[in-house]
Amino acid sequence: MLRQEVNELLTQTGPGTPMAELFRQYWIPALLAEELPENDCPQVRVKLLSERLIAFRDSEGRYGLMDEFCAHRGVSLWFGRNEESGLRCAYHGWKYDVTGQCIDVPSEPAESGFNAKIKLASYPLVKVGDVLWTHMGDPEARPPLPEWEFARLPSEQTFTSKRWEECNWLQALEGGIDSSHVSWLHSGGLMNDPLFRGSKGNEYNLADRRPFFEVVDSDGGLFIGARREAEEGHYYWRITPWVMPSFTMIPPRADHPVHGHFWVPIDDENCWVYSYDYHPTRALSGDEVQAMKDGHGVHCEYVPGTYRPLQNKDNDYLMDRDSQKRGENFSGIRGIAMQDASLQESMGPIVDRTKENLVSTDNGIIMARQKLKKAVIALRDKGETPPGVDPAHHRVRSASVVLPKDAAFIDASREALTAVPGVKQTSV
Amino acid sequence: MDRRPTLLSSCARAATAAEARFRVNYPNSRTRASRIVALDPDAASMVGRIAGQAWNGAHFLSYQETSSADPLDPDAILRSADGTESRLSDELDGADVAVMIATAGRVPEGAAIIGRACSIRGIMTAGLVMGDGNALDDAVTALRPYASVLVVSPDEDYVPQMLVALRA
Repeated sequence: MLRQEVNELLTQTGPGTPMAELFRQYWIPALLAEELPENDCPQVRVKLLSERLIAFRDSEGRYGLMDEFCAHRGVSLWFGRNEESGLRCAYHGWKYDVTGQCIDVPSEPAESGFNAKIKLASYPLVKVGDVLWTHMGDPEARPPLPEWEFARLPSEQTFTSKRWEECNWLQALEGGIDSSHVSWLHSGGLMNDPLFRGSKGNEYNLADRRPFFEVVDSDGGLFIGARREAEEGHYYWRITPWVMPSFTMIPPRADHPVHGHFWVPIDDENCWVYSYDYHPTRALSGDEVQAMKDGHGVHCEYVPGTYRPLQNKDNDYLMDRDSQKRGENFSGIRGIAMQDASLQESMGPIVDRTKENLVSTDNGIIMARQKLKKAVIALRDKGETPPGVDPAHHRVRSASVVLPKDAAFIDASREALTAVPGVKQTSV
Repeated sequence: MDRRPTLLSSCARAATAAEARFRVNYPNSRTRASRIVALDPDAASMVGRIAGQAWNGAHFLSYQETSSADPLDPDAILRSADGTESRLSDELDGADVAVMIATAGRVPEGAAIIGRACSIRGIMTAGLVMGDGNALDDAVTALRPYASVLVVSPDEDYVPQMLVALRA
């Protein structure tokens, strides 16, 4: 259980809250690069950390992320025109550049300089990999750009999608740290999903449904090792890194691409889940990319024209009781991503953690909460930079390994847990 | 297959903040019987400091010595913060969870006895090794076979946080 005041501290991310200040220390995903595919393309409404913003790409290819509403009469700039190096409001023609600076007020004489007095709040928007990242904190304390491996590889080696999840960011993140649910909720996926099936590791996973866990502190967050019985004298380890505030990476299976998530608060009751897949040393195959686009692995199918999952709470996630009965999947919900999302959303927009009954194997979640709480308070009270801001903390990987029983996973896997360009992932 | 419209009874209604008000409000678990056992002197000091806080009946103890190494009936002498000694077998009678705490640089001799005694009784176990660096190895190796979860942390604050989370 978590005391109510701590639950509120960690789940409230609106302006002025301590957790929002924490998120504002980092570069976070704002939208996919595919959402602004070319110069002067249509602008996109974006809500992040409970702020309504608008993103656009101007005639020179510069990206902008700023207050959604015109400073004149409060009209949404989504109705405006993206043209000639700026976003022009549809109501009276006020125009803004990518920094939010007003550059034209047609009703006033140009020589008056009135427009120079008008500026919308704005944040930087930078393309790294398939993602447009923003830093919503103090410009004077802006960290170097992110160095997550999935975002730094050539485009043919990596694939990123995003989906809207209708619950608070923390309960979604906690699903990524909670390795013990895999053998249950995702047991069907281990056998059937084209991006998961066919690894020796799956056999260990399914043969031993009571994994033991070890949780070890890292510079950026945690490493969570789940061990299961393997051959005589050996354990099969699946090691998940969590880097603050909300990056996790799923341990790999065979030579499948490796994958993981980045959770970003939209507001306190909604979040974006960015889901990536990549292979460190080869291009993704056509079949793999097609499987990702079709919603397999950590990805999902969409309501056409949106980033809302096709299976969503309005249709009970297309629950299929017959499939559940046949044993094709454990919960009756199709797809690994929506198996997670359906349960996390069912907890309610912000789960009441005072009611939960955690057990010892939930220590990964307990420790993540503790580290978040400490970082939030240290930032608020002492201005300390939290873990995960330093790009060195981004150079992590998950791993799956078979080790002798007396080996400490963190020591035996140190190289495997470090992202090194051109070096293949460690996988069973 | 037959897809029936779900709408009014679906998650679309059930998972809203408004509906959360109608979740049945009652204590959904009984008090857990938790045993917190320090395995070395530094851990005992730490446990002694934590024991003074408000808990839901948790017993804070330190391992003293093995009184029976019989694999079928392992037992040990434990000491509470007020100096009272008790038998491990008595402490585990009715216990739900045993949390073993060790510190870096020590070999926690009691881990095997306590772990086996918990295993025989089907009691949930957790191990914490406090500290960092290479000095952790002995403690981690000793605890690994006997803890369903093993946490390595340099942060003493984690211990009470974890115990609160586990409703100790």
